[in-house]
Amino acid sequence: MRLEKCWFCSSTIYPGHGIQYVRNDAKIFRFCRSKCHKNFKMKRNPRKVKWTKAYRRLHGKDMTQDSTFEFERKRNRPERYDRNVTENTLKAIKKIDKVRVDREHRHHTKRLTFSSLYCCNICDLDQLLTCFEKMDRMKPKKAQLRREAEKELEQSISMVKAPAAQQQDPSLTLPIKVKVSKPETVENRMEE
Amino acid sequence: MATRLQYENNCDIGVFSKLTNAYCLVAIGGSENFYSTFEAELAGVIPVVKASIAGTRIVGRLCAGNKNGLLLPHNTTDQELQHLRNSLPDSVAVQRIEERLNSLGNCISCNDHVALSHPYLAKETEELIADVLGVEVFRQTVAGDVLVGSYCAFSNRGGLVHPHTSIEDLDELSTLLQVPLVAGTVNCGSDVIGAGVIVNDWIAFCGSDTTATELSVIESVFKLRYHFFE
Repeated sequence: MRLEKCWFCSSTIYPGHGIQYVRNDAKIFRFCRSKCHKNFKMKRNPRKVKWTKAYRRLHGKDMTQDSTFEFERKRNRPERYDRNVTENTLKAIKKIDKVRVDREHRHHTKRLTFSSLYCCNICDLDQLLTCFEKMDRMKPKKAQLRREAEKELEQSISMVKAPAAQQQDPSLTLPIKVKVSKPETVENRMEE
Repeated sequence: MATRLQYENNCDIGVFSKLTNAYCLVAIGGSENFYSTFEAELAGVIPVVKASIAGTRIVGRLCAGNKNGLLLPHNTTDQELQHLRNSLPDSVAVQRIEERLNSLGNCISCNDHVALSHPYLAKETEELIADVLGVEVFRQTVAGDVLVGSYCAFSNRGGLVHPHTSIEDLDELSTLLQVPLVAGTVNCGSDVIGAGVIVNDWIAFCGSDTTATELSVIESVFKLRYHFFE
């Protein structure tokens, strides 16, 4: 018995669950439930489907690189059974799991504290960018960062400045010349 | 000295067992007769291990090995892998390989120095074979057939190949493998040599349908009779 990973959502497949599909090129696809299987049949790319682990890893929502991931590998060269080694391995598995969960939790809290913008006096785009960079260890691309920062500023600036204060002083702006369009002739209107 | 035996009334013993110079793998069968025959001949000399691979009995056709190592397909379960590792001596390296062609016993035929492989085997697999088994690997066909493990059986002292192998092919293979080769049959005219006979340097086992003529050919090409003169 081996606990496999679902090909689509990367969750563990326990015995008695799911479907395995073997393609003609001998590649095996394991699915944890019919939801993943049906998505696969629709030829959806798991990297574009928001609830899968593949998407979350790709878009920096979940931890991608960590030393705890190196322990959970498929090993093809076994070692002779040794009772002490087995005992130590079982203890280590528990500890490694705990460490991994703690690190993932920390990653999530770091990612989600952006929403607390009201506590920082950020009115400038650059300040916002540096705040993002400081708080996120796994930085998304700079263009994406900038877009996110712009959006945040646009949406949340009302938390910092009152809407009335955002309007510029009318006395400082020059009047804008507006061109008045010619009235339409009667003939054109009849054609329509 | 060649012994005739059956596995549950089936003469294709090469399917259900694997014999090398360092160990012998045997399938888990209904009755103990199959295992007992091996035990009678090999008891103190080399370990005779009862095993299953991927939950099946066809251990001879799924694995490939010699005295240096044993190669197993990717669907071997972790428990089976561990069992084999515990039962075999430490000098034998047990390795599971990720390869599309699963039946390594049909795709790889080897002795302790040289191996023939299926022409469509992946490059990484070929390197693994050379590494784990400590052999020189040649991609070859036997009698125009790609399943080299099924159609030839060879040890360090001689080899038997498919009866329809041409003389040129025979000479070519002989120079590659550096052992004398003979084209013959086993199990009363069956050309699947790999299923009919299993052999190592001092003993051979073949299906009970093997005629006396075939048996004498086997004994002479694998040089099994000379033991009595030592």
